[in-house]
Amino acid sequence: MTSESARMNSAAEARFRVQAPNSLPRTIVVIALDAAGRAVVERLQRGGWRQATFLAATSGDALEDLAGRPRQIRNEVEHADLVVLVAGPGGRAHAAAPIGEACSRRRVMTTAFVVEATSAAAPDVSRTLGQLRPWSLMVVIAEHDDYIDDMMTALRA
Amino acid sequence: MLRKVQNDLLTQTGPETPMGRMFRRYWVPALLSDELPENDCPPVRVKLLSERLIAFRDTNGRYGLMDEFCAHRGVSLWFGRNEDCGLRCSYHGWKYDVTGQCLDVPSEPEASGFANKIRLQSYPLVERGGVLWTYMGPPDAQPPAPEWEFITVPRPQTFASKRLQECNWLQAMEGGIDSSHVSWLHRGDLDSDPLFKGARGNQYNLSDARPVFEVVESPGGLYIGARRNAENGDYYWRITQWVMPSFTMIAPRGSHSVHGHFWIPVDDESCWAWSYDYHPVRDLTEAEIAAMRDGKGIHVRYVPGTFRPLANKDNDYLIDRAAQKMGRSFSGVEGIAMQDASLQESMGPVVDRTRENLVSTDNGIIMARHRLLRALAAFTDKGVTPPGVDPAHQKVRSAAIVLPRDVPFSDGAREALVARPAVAPASV
Repeated sequence: MTSESARMNSAAEARFRVQAPNSLPRTIVVIALDAAGRAVVERLQRGGWRQATFLAATSGDALEDLAGRPRQIRNEVEHADLVVLVAGPGGRAHAAAPIGEACSRRRVMTTAFVVEATSAAAPDVSRTLGQLRPWSLMVVIAEHDDYIDDMMTALRA
Repeated sequence: MLRKVQNDLLTQTGPETPMGRMFRRYWVPALLSDELPENDCPPVRVKLLSERLIAFRDTNGRYGLMDEFCAHRGVSLWFGRNEDCGLRCSYHGWKYDVTGQCLDVPSEPEASGFANKIRLQSYPLVERGGVLWTYMGPPDAQPPAPEWEFITVPRPQTFASKRLQECNWLQAMEGGIDSSHVSWLHRGDLDSDPLFKGARGNQYNLSDARPVFEVVESPGGLYIGARRNAENGDYYWRITQWVMPSFTMIAPRGSHSVHGHFWIPVDDESCWAWSYDYHPVRDLTEAEIAAMRDGKGIHVRYVPGTFRPLANKDNDYLIDRAAQKMGRSFSGVEGIAMQDASLQESMGPVVDRTRENLVSTDNGIIMARHRLLRALAAFTDKGVTPPGVDPAHQKVRSAAIVLPRDVPFSDGAREALVARPAVAPASV
């Protein structure tokens, strides 16, 4: 007799998988921490995302939207499922700390992207990593920043 | 999540598909050398990338891999006679050499030259490190022979096995770079498996079940780093290598051998999971080889006479619910390889990635798909050779290493991530 696993693993049985939606849209907040990050976030904002908010850190480690209107870190993090931090090499990602602290308090997942890293000097990358690592549960160093688009699509942003 | 068109693109590897064409630009493992143990031994059926082939070793020790079926009436050459430098069809005696060239059509006058007009599709088959490798792409694009370290070290230092996995290659390969599952599915094996236990690094694993991941692009694919806290504020890193399209090397443990996989499509609904263990600077011990043959580590025990795992879907993977309940095994399936394979096969022959819900810790998988799709577009649109074809991309190592807190692991472990002859691996 055919085992249950043998029957259920078949292509024929795959047709009977429940097709109802299995998740609610996630809220993702993408925050540029420096100028390199801002260029990426401004490009990303032009995509047709459903549940994503795009912000930038100011020189005073506060937040603003990309039109320059002030935003409160606590409020932006409050209902996020994921906060994505984007920064370039050089150690100008100071805002990672207050944002990370807010995420940590709210138990919000954080992912950090270091952009333009492949052409940067290692000490510059180190400085940025030193700022991001304490607050990031996932760090990505990608050669091309269009990877962030793919990641957001994969995460159903 | 992938769109259906992307999922189809990556999972379909037949000869006329984009991914199939790209896969054919690589040397891929086809058989274990032991499957053709002597000259004029019986031929072996091989199905790769949705093509049915026959492999044989002729009277002079030359290896051949060609269309399985006789050009005359489509009989399988598996029934053929391997004799006098050729494989002769048992039906009407047509005979082929290792290049697929027909040498003899007994029913035709010898002087007619008819045999010269018959040639089966064939592919080169070369022996490297106990594995027979084939290249199924255009001859003018054939790269140099593979240079993976496990096939370039002396034979006593390396061991390879293969097993049939009954699902698409991509979902199997993605399991190999899904570092976050290890703390769950395999949690019971670090302390008990003879090929893992006793390493100092295991204590870092066991004392910190929530590693933080970093994904960094490498020339041939990805470095996937999992970091845990070590002494004095340092980080303990376990760095896995993924080289396109389907090679992985898992971070080593202590003085144990280094291991990893290839996932090679048989067709779109099954693949060969190749598993290798080697040590760069010493012979494998008899006890290690015995453990590997006994299905320990990343290897399996087989249904006798086959490469099908003894625990398979037909016997519900011999799941032991009592062991699962008692915590002796998290999933109830024995052995690391079958713990993975049982779950990956349960996804169905080709998982529907439009319905998955990935999370941040899946960035290794997301990045691998991104790189495959990017390479596929460059290859298809501009003919760019994909990463991983260049032998320089193959001279890699995984590493387990303690580094200062702020150091990018790709820099701090730069030397450790490159294969260097007679240099011990970076391992904790």
